[in-house]
Amino acid sequence: MSTIGRDPIGFELFKNTLFSIADEMALTIYRTAYSGVLKDGMDYSTAFCDGEGRTVAQGLTMPGHLGSFPDALGATLKRFGDRMKPGDIYCLNDPFEGGMHLPDVFILKPIFYRNERIAFAGTVCHQTDMGGRVAGSNASDSTETYQEGLRIPPVKMYDAGEPNETLFRLIEKNVRVPVRVFGDMRAQLSACHVAEMAFLRLVDTRGLDTVKAYMQELIAYTERMTRASLKQLPDGEWSFEDWIDDDGIDYGKPIRLFVTLRKSGDTLVADWTGSSPQVKGAINNTLSYTKAATYTGIKSVLPPEIPNNDGFHRAVQVIAPPGTIANCVLPAATAARGLTGFRMVDCIFGALALMLPERVFAASDGGNTGISIGGYYADRKPFIYVDFICSAWGGRPWADGLDGNASMFANLSSHPAEVIETEHPLEILGMEFVADSGGAGMFRGGMGFRRDYRFVEEEAVLQVRSDRRAFRPFGLYGGKPGRPSVNIINPHTEHRVVPAKITMTIRQGDVYRHELPGGGGWGDPLQREPARVLRDVRNELVSVEAARRDYGVVIDPQHWKIDETATASLRAELRARRAGATLPVVDRSGANGD
Amino acid sequence: MARFRVGVDIGGTFTDIVFLDPEGRVHTKKVSSSVDDYARAIVEGLREVFRETGLAGADVVEVLHGTTVASNAILELRGARTGLITTAGFRDALEIRRLRMPRLYEIAWEKPVPLVERYLRLEVRERINARGEIQSALDPAEVDAVLDRLLGEGVEAIAVCLLNSYANPVHEQRIKEIVERRVPGLPLCISAEVLPEIREYERTSTTVINAYVMPVVRRYLRSLRHGLAEIGVEAPLLIIQSNGGLMTADSAERMPMHIIESGPAAGVIGAQALARRTGMPKVITFDMGGTTAKASIVEDGEVNRATEYSVGGGIMHGSRLLSGSGYLLRVPAIDLAEVGAGGGSIVWIDAGGSLQVGPRSAGASPGPLCYDLGGTEPTITDANVILGYLNPGYLVGGALKLNAARAREVFEERIARPLGLALVDAADGAHRIAASNMIRAIKAVSSERGRDPRDYALFAFGGNGPLFAAGMARQLEMTRIVVPPAPGLFSSFGLLYGDVEHHYVRTYRRHTRHLDLSEVNGIVGKMEADALAQLAAEGFTGAATRITRSADLCYHGQSFELTVPLTAGALDPRAIAELEEAFGREHERVYGHRAGPEEPVQLVSLRLIAHGIPERPRVPDRIMVDLAPSPGSGTRSARRRVYFGATDGWQETPILRRPDLSNPVDGPAIVEEYDATCVVPPRAQARLDVYGNIVIDLR
Repeated sequence: MSTIGRDPIGFELFKNTLFSIADEMALTIYRTAYSGVLKDGMDYSTAFCDGEGRTVAQGLTMPGHLGSFPDALGATLKRFGDRMKPGDIYCLNDPFEGGMHLPDVFILKPIFYRNERIAFAGTVCHQTDMGGRVAGSNASDSTETYQEGLRIPPVKMYDAGEPNETLFRLIEKNVRVPVRVFGDMRAQLSACHVAEMAFLRLVDTRGLDTVKAYMQELIAYTERMTRASLKQLPDGEWSFEDWIDDDGIDYGKPIRLFVTLRKSGDTLVADWTGSSPQVKGAINNTLSYTKAATYTGIKSVLPPEIPNNDGFHRAVQVIAPPGTIANCVLPAATAARGLTGFRMVDCIFGALALMLPERVFAASDGGNTGISIGGYYADRKPFIYVDFICSAWGGRPWADGLDGNASMFANLSSHPAEVIETEHPLEILGMEFVADSGGAGMFRGGMGFRRDYRFVEEEAVLQVRSDRRAFRPFGLYGGKPGRPSVNIINPHTEHRVVPAKITMTIRQGDVYRHELPGGGGWGDPLQREPARVLRDVRNELVSVEAARRDYGVVIDPQHWKIDETATASLRAELRARRAGATLPVVDRSGANGD
Repeated sequence: MARFRVGVDIGGTFTDIVFLDPEGRVHTKKVSSSVDDYARAIVEGLREVFRETGLAGADVVEVLHGTTVASNAILELRGARTGLITTAGFRDALEIRRLRMPRLYEIAWEKPVPLVERYLRLEVRERINARGEIQSALDPAEVDAVLDRLLGEGVEAIAVCLLNSYANPVHEQRIKEIVERRVPGLPLCISAEVLPEIREYERTSTTVINAYVMPVVRRYLRSLRHGLAEIGVEAPLLIIQSNGGLMTADSAERMPMHIIESGPAAGVIGAQALARRTGMPKVITFDMGGTTAKASIVEDGEVNRATEYSVGGGIMHGSRLLSGSGYLLRVPAIDLAEVGAGGGSIVWIDAGGSLQVGPRSAGASPGPLCYDLGGTEPTITDANVILGYLNPGYLVGGALKLNAARAREVFEERIARPLGLALVDAADGAHRIAASNMIRAIKAVSSERGRDPRDYALFAFGGNGPLFAAGMARQLEMTRIVVPPAPGLFSSFGLLYGDVEHHYVRTYRRHTRHLDLSEVNGIVGKMEADALAQLAAEGFTGAATRITRSADLCYHGQSFELTVPLTAGALDPRAIAELEEAFGREHERVYGHRAGPEEPVQLVSLRLIAHGIPERPRVPDRIMVDLAPSPGSGTRSARRRVYFGATDGWQETPILRRPDLSNPVDGPAIVEEYDATCVVPPRAQARLDVYGNIVIDLR
């Protein structure tokens, strides 16, 4: 009999306590962090793991980090294993030894009870800078990891409570903004401290044996729930293909992503074989990140009560051949790998949409756009602005895609314009939805927004990682694709369009505009309720022309009325023009007037 | 002539009215709420009290009111048709929000509908930079044009929020002048007057909420005053704010954003008053009704306040980890944690075979199985009947008859058998899981903020609070529980304890080491002058006023501030040094570390609370309430079998009335009252204190 069976109530109480520890860790980082990317962007995760490094509970923050702790702890345990002592704290960021990309720094604290290692508190935070050739350490145009910054293998940050001065000094000398980085690292340490205190109280009240048994049971419980839910999905094999525009080095050369889902009984395999070999640009994934992307898609179609822990990973197998963009090897550059992760999420959702047509949305905006603006003030003090923005969800079989919402893969929040203006040499000139950007559909894609930055210091390096310029967010089951992204320098004067991935110099007064892509639509646009089209037109999200062209809805903008007769005949005409052709299941291009 | 003060608390189902005179005499009335016009039920209820007692309108000296009118207007999206005027490029700030959503992996997530639709959000070309310098002047002709469009759309209220207006409000003020000149009396709200704080989304959202509910609140309060006048009640009408202070109805009409969470605040204020009076230094309040449970903190006689919360966001008011739900309101409110657990919460089994409680609720209709009103799913109230906590025959002093057999039968079939448990173990499990969900609320206000619940007394009220309190306290290793008289009506009583109070905040971002002290003192002086003027308008001057000041600080770079007290009088370098030190200590207490002395500390906001002090204590020491308990309780033979968990099992338990506790009683015991049931477990002792509170000590 399982441990739950003996005491379902005691188990439930334990589960609540452990989840609240992981959430408490996350709150601690939020409240004490120094950098915008953490305190406003919330690009971090916390986890509570058992003594062998298996994740038992994860804080409610970044799906993109789901599944990354086992690799980080695995690498650390492999190195230090039995040599760990109370008071030790470990740290790493090496993508090739437990990490994901250099800005994501893991801080891991083993928790001891009477000299026995019983658990780990783990945190991973996106640091503002880890050195390297471009401020922010996010550049997509590095071609080997050695250019990207300070690479830290699993090392001791504290040895039996004593700080490792060598490590701290090395970090201090290699990063551009050590005060901010150390402030954020202290936030990570606080989170580990908070978790340790809470967990030891739990052990004191419940007894060590019970707590150990329950941790294993919580993992087993999750696996049971996952498998029970998988069993209810159809068996079979579904493949999906999508392309990243390029890697920012070989401009215009598409990069293939390909996944096959094999579902049989209560197991699911996601196989990325067939995806592109690793590329020169810095968008290569570690296997852990490929797993996180895969899990995100699959978790989204399973019941929300399934916890985030190792039990889930046991039921879902992820395959990716080494040397590919999905599982890179040295000397691959990884800084901007977020892009690939996001696009893999689109790809896995595409495959799931074939498996479960009624439950999955069309392509979202392709993930967030990463923007770094860095340089030096006249007095040689550095500034670095790091931001990730995203907006639109794909249309869903039952509702429109969300406008202005975090991505499923990265539940980030936006930096307030007013805070940006007080902390950085930037002015935000606007942040508004781009009309007609959402793909048409019975349920339209979400709208992307544009954001304009004016730079007010002497000179800076602008580095942008965006995508979905050539390959637009796909529509599903008759829905049209969303509008592509675009980067423009000085939109009101020279209107210079620049590539999706750039590292370039900007000067005082320059305005940089980014327009996010819109989400893909779901279902035949001619079946969209005309009243919904009218509402979008009224709200200037859809133009009068697009209402006619894409939806066959004729609107009188003087009185905000639908011309019912004209609409009926226009829709009939548009249908007739299709000449009996069935609408594509996946639509990647050729709508919205361009 | 009698001199009664009257507390009126509106709930979703019932409106509670409590009359109290200086001698402690009490009259109470529970009437059904009139949802179409809440004022009607209040007036009717008062009329009934007058009829029953022979009192008249002239005997009422003050009406204190807690209302959910404003929050309902938001939750039901029935506020005013509101227009928003904002800086060019920022009309979508309200809708884009901060992007984040409160749940992960939820493909069905829907954002709350914006309170102002996009076509009613209009822009003006102007720009003031972060230093408050005008970069691009406002064109009055453009304001006229925008106003024409909004009026053409038939808006009933206008909100104005321009970028960086916290640094310089001049453009917003100009728009206000134009609107007031052209449309006098149109409900209007500019952000600089409601929230002169950095962060455009938070400020826009707050300003919009204020404008959105302004006409609704105005209409309601006028209707209420009119109704009161009709029955001869000419006494001042005061409304309790979300922060727990009272404000005049006139102020509430202008600043309705302060009364959104008016309802839940009253109970906490009542708890605060009792904590002060009984000298309890550390109290966790626990208010549990039919659908939700709320926890809050009273420390050294002071309530805790959050600087912002989400209307309709559910769960934890102060926590930002789950942000993105509801409508963000950045005004001080009593920091409550709220979970969807109440007597009506449904008990079920999930796919992994684990027992779950809520968050779905059977509510009042169809209600629990034992109400026999068509409910088909087991609820917590059913579990409580099975366990013997609730009288198996009656509730509400005999007014509600129960069907205990039906509760047993369905609970057995739906829960106990599938889990392979005995009925009583399943019911006990459900009861304990409900308790653990509510413990999350208690922890959110205590252990998550670095407070050890074991150092606190648990102050339990609401219809179900006294039933769960002892079990929860034991799990948290808390040792003292206090249950006030008439716990089910306690929120209405709480109103009677409120004082006039106003909260002010000003953003002032400077390093503590680069402060221009004369500027700071000027700002604080101005805030004090404004506050005293407001109090004077409400009849409080001189010794009847009290000002407390505090400051929000963080380490340079952090976004989340901690609030620390600011000493009285003009600020000098020594006061600033003390402030820095107090911040460092607070940071260490909350987070386990403080940065080194070289790390710069930033002042973010200055806060000020103005209190109007009444001439004498507003509530007498001892209150005399006598409400009918369930039939049969308190007689010599009243006993029943009650289950107290696996360790203690079934116990023959005496069923008592509150007066039976005038001598200490050892548990187990059940105290049945008209409006609540109090459980005293084994290894506990219960007694009455001089104020009529039940005090339970756990061993």
